Amino acid sequence: MTPMAAPEARIPITVLTGFLGAGKTTLLRNLLRDPRYADSAVIVNEFGEVPLDHELVAAGDETFLSVATGCLCCVVRTDLTRTLASLARRREAGEVPRYGRVLIETSGLADPAPILHALLLDDTVAATHRLQGVATLVDSQHGATALERHPEAQRQAMLADRLVLSKADLVPETTVLEARLRALNPTAPIRAAAQGEVPPEWLFAQGAHATDPEALAAWLEAMGRAARHSTGVTAIVLEREAPIPAAALTLWMQALAEHAGARLLRLKGLVAIAEAPERPAAIHAIQHVVHPLEALEAWPSADRRSRMVLIGQGIPRHWPARLLAAIEAEVAEETARRTG
Amino acid sequence: MTPPDLRALIADSLALWEVQGRVMVLEGGVVLATPDGARLVVRSATAEDRPVRWWLERPGQRRPCMGIPGLLRTLRNALGAGEAPVGRLRMALPEA
Repeated sequence: MTPMAAPEARIPITVLTGFLGAGKTTLLRNLLRDPRYADSAVIVNEFGEVPLDHELVAAGDETFLSVATGCLCCVVRTDLTRTLASLARRREAGEVPRYGRVLIETSGLADPAPILHALLLDDTVAATHRLQGVATLVDSQHGATALERHPEAQRQAMLADRLVLSKADLVPETTVLEARLRALNPTAPIRAAAQGEVPPEWLFAQGAHATDPEALAAWLEAMGRAARHSTGVTAIVLEREAPIPAAALTLWMQALAEHAGARLLRLKGLVAIAEAPERPAAIHAIQHVVHPLEALEAWPSADRRSRMVLIGQGIPRHWPARLLAAIEAEVAEETARRTG
Repeated sequence: MTPPDLRALIADSLALWEVQGRVMVLEGGVVLATPDGARLVVRSATAEDRPVRWWLERPGQRRPCMGIPGLLRTLRNALGAGEAPVGRLRMALPEA
């Protein structure tokens, strides 16, 4: 396995996504004009045999790469990880400028989840890079239609850490679109942008992949409210008073991945583990990829209940809780059997 | 786990797998009947059967399952609802 650099030493990656015509290239071009972010390496994924987008971004140095053989999420994932690894090697060797961040612009048809998987699972990439967040552009004019008709657009919105309403100068009234986005993703901040102008410090803020316990608790709380009050949200909330045995949690997550992996967009939680209830475990998963359980130092509040939120499509609302209850009962019985 | 609890879990699982069927508490277990005529019975194993916890029965066949995850996998495969890839869970690399 490749030795891993300390988190702060690793190069942050921001994934910029959005449906066709949402204005990703315009935004990217504006970002790169800002001298503070000129040290960015850019990877553009273009769908089709003739790359066009990279011609529109005035970067033009050795750290600008176009991956043009197909859709990043389904065809060139390996190319992406190879590209990142190669870029990092060349950076260390001084063959390219010492860039400070990577921006990946996906094709408009990309589902971001497999891209995130590639970034999280490839040990060569993870040794030198860290995923900072996902920014999704939604066209103020046509975004609602795209969300209605295209599952890719929905998934781009659901997986976002930041949502940008592009072309806001053309559509001053976006209440309905914002409500639709809130239903899909209740916690990502939404910001309107005209002419692709977004404050970079807002766009590059650390996303939900951080495991700050207070931020995670706030996310869980917001998702819980949304799940209870909004009919359009496919968020399922589990709350448990009693700590959960580690074996039961592991088996449950494995069964979730096995049976609902493709439908499970995100799973997050703060869980009281029966074997160490004083230190909550933060759980994160994107589809079937689960981050290692992380034992946090302390609970963020006096509320010691386990809370888990699943965001998914087509998962029966009570199935995760029923599954967990069944597994917990078996683990408890097995523990009792072995201990006599 | 009571038969009604098992029935509810299996009914939800069928919905998740997009399989049509009726799930009933019958015959000392849970019976699953699909529109194409398949009939499967899930019975709880006795304490003497441990580590087996569940039996999945179909005409001429009786398969042991060690727990709920194994039962769901076996059931899904028996229904031809897309083979559940075993051990598909993958761990992301830890933060250093």
